[in-house]
Amino acid sequence: MNKMKTILQTIDLKMIYQIGKIPVNALRGVNLTVNEGEFVAIMGPSGCGKSTMLHILGGMLKPSSGSVLIDGQDLSKMSDSSRTELRRQKIGFVFQKFNLFPTLTAEGNIRLAERIRANGNHKNEGERRTEILRLLNLEGRLNHKPLELSGGEQQRVAIARALVGHPAIVLADEPTGNLDSENSQVVLKMLQELNKKFGQTIIMITHSPEAAGITQRIVQMRDGQIVK
Amino acid sequence: MDSLVMANLSQRPVRTIISAVGVALGIVLVILMVGLSHGMLQEQGRRNSNVGAEILFTRPNNYGPGTSSVLSLPVQYAPEISKVSGVQAVSPIGQYLKPSNQSFGMEMVEGVDIESYQKVTNLSISEGKNLTTDDEVIIDPVYSRDKKVKVGDSIDLFGHKFYVSGIYQPEIGARMKIKLSMMQNLLGSKDRCSFVFVKCKPKYSQEQVAENILTALPDNKVLFTREIQELYEKGLPVVNVFVKAVVVVSIIISVLVIMLAMYTTIIERTREIGVLKSLGASKQFIVFEIEKEALLISVLGTLLGYLVAITGRWLIIKNTSLIIELEPKWLFYAALVGILSGLLGALYPALRVANQDPVKALSYE
Ligand SMILES: Nc1ncnc2c1ncn2[C@@H]1O[C@H](COP(=O)(O)OP(=O)(O)O)[C@@H](O)[C@H]1O
Ligand SMILES: [Mg+2]
Repeated sequence: MNKMKTILQTIDLKMIYQIGKIPVNALRGVNLTVNEGEFVAIMGPSGCGKSTMLHILGGMLKPSSGSVLIDGQDLSKMSDSSRTELRRQKIGFVFQKFNLFPTLTAEGNIRLAERIRANGNHKNEGERRTEILRLLNLEGRLNHKPLELSGGEQQRVAIARALVGHPAIVLADEPTGNLDSENSQVVLKMLQELNKKFGQTIIMITHSPEAAGITQRIVQMRDGQIVK
Repeated sequence: MDSLVMANLSQRPVRTIISAVGVALGIVLVILMVGLSHGMLQEQGRRNSNVGAEILFTRPNNYGPGTSSVLSLPVQYAPEISKVSGVQAVSPIGQYLKPSNQSFGMEMVEGVDIESYQKVTNLSISEGKNLTTDDEVIIDPVYSRDKKVKVGDSIDLFGHKFYVSGIYQPEIGARMKIKLSMMQNLLGSKDRCSFVFVKCKPKYSQEQVAENILTALPDNKVLFTREIQELYEKGLPVVNVFVKAVVVVSIIISVLVIMLAMYTTIIERTREIGVLKSLGASKQFIVFEIEKEALLISVLGTLLGYLVAITGRWLIIKNTSLIIELEPKWLFYAALVGILSGLLGALYPALRVANQDPVKALSYE
């Protein structure tokens, strides 16, 4: 490996939700550094702040305090629209519930993402798309709508969509949480391959030790903090 | 296909059709109501310019024949006008616009003093007898044909039975004429009329006579009958206000229909908006996608509206005595109304969801 480059860094990240008058401390000072090309698993009990952290890393939420550096840019100081722009260029989200557009085919879902990510500039994504689709073994399923696909296939389409436009980081929130063990294994295998073949940086929340086992590093969270 | 717009429209055909119908409603309203008011005006104008009299004398706030349904001008003006130099004959006319007995629309009735009326116009009786008693009415051939009314038949006017004594020619003013004195009695407007027709002596110019009249009777208004047609075509203030009101109502209908349609489907799609945001879609992108959908519905509605308006116009003209002008200019305006209000209606829901918190949107069930 050549010299490690830091792709993501959080410094004393805190998030306090306000439920009426009651403050909920979801993150209590998180310091996390992820290098380019790493595959990191985030584990921890329900409610310990994993999703909150992932949303902040992807610019979907503004932290209460602390900073988040993505590729050197400080997200926590940005306006809502700049965070959206950074997300468009650098972040690919994968969700537990797949979140495909039900009215579009698999291909439509991927092309819509291409349209958003291209933002008016015409980039030819054809070659990369073919490669990804081959890796995800989706070539035969492109003309099907989400409801005609199995859960595993839907999640693979969602991964293909997240990869559109070369995101620097893929953020996955329990990507196998809705899959049976067989499909889970297929999806995990593919994430692992993406990481190995393309050097894709992936941060994945998971409850399953098996899933965490395929990653290079496991980060444990408790009560809004990283414990290990 | 990566278009959420097309997918959404075809996924929910009933919503798409209902929204388009809402827009179409506005389009039909504009085309038919504007066409109707303009058509009636032009017809009125044509019929009023057919008179032999050159000048119409009225009150300053009266814009011309057919625009007021009250008798407001004292008939005492008539003898005064006849004393003015250059005036050959005068005749007071009462006009009254009433809802039609048989079909949708308005009908005009005139009260005339038949002896003087025939001196200022070239009206003649082509069938039957002239107006002699209070219970008689004369009609023109068009009315006779359209309403299938013959000499000797009766017509109900102001709750009174009138018998058709004769049919007159050419088409002048209202299609039904009764005696002015009778109209005054029935409307409770003793000694009043709507305007006075003035016929000029040969060799006197109309302008000169008009000036003489206004000198003798200042603070009144004279119109040249040769200009009445043009006046009508330009549109009368009353009618222009009406047209504006129709346009505003249509815009409101279309805006509300689109707003409601977009609002409900966008709420249903809150989660999708969250996903778009997670992919990095900007607010502009989201607003634009929603506006595209609204635009498509509006265009669909506009086309549907054209179809209904044109068919409707054909049916109305075929079955009633109404005249509806189909003006290209107004077809264009109607489309503009439909499309702009579609875009406007979608704007609020679009802005609202575009500004939504993406995490909350994603957890929407
Ligand atoms: N929108 C919100 N408003 C208020 N509290 C929230 C909100 N989202 C999460 N929380 C609270 O923050 C804490 C962390 O939640 P979350 O990040 O979803 O945890 P995890 O993903 O680890 O289960 C929990 O106590 C949760 O109830
Ligand atoms: Mg969670």
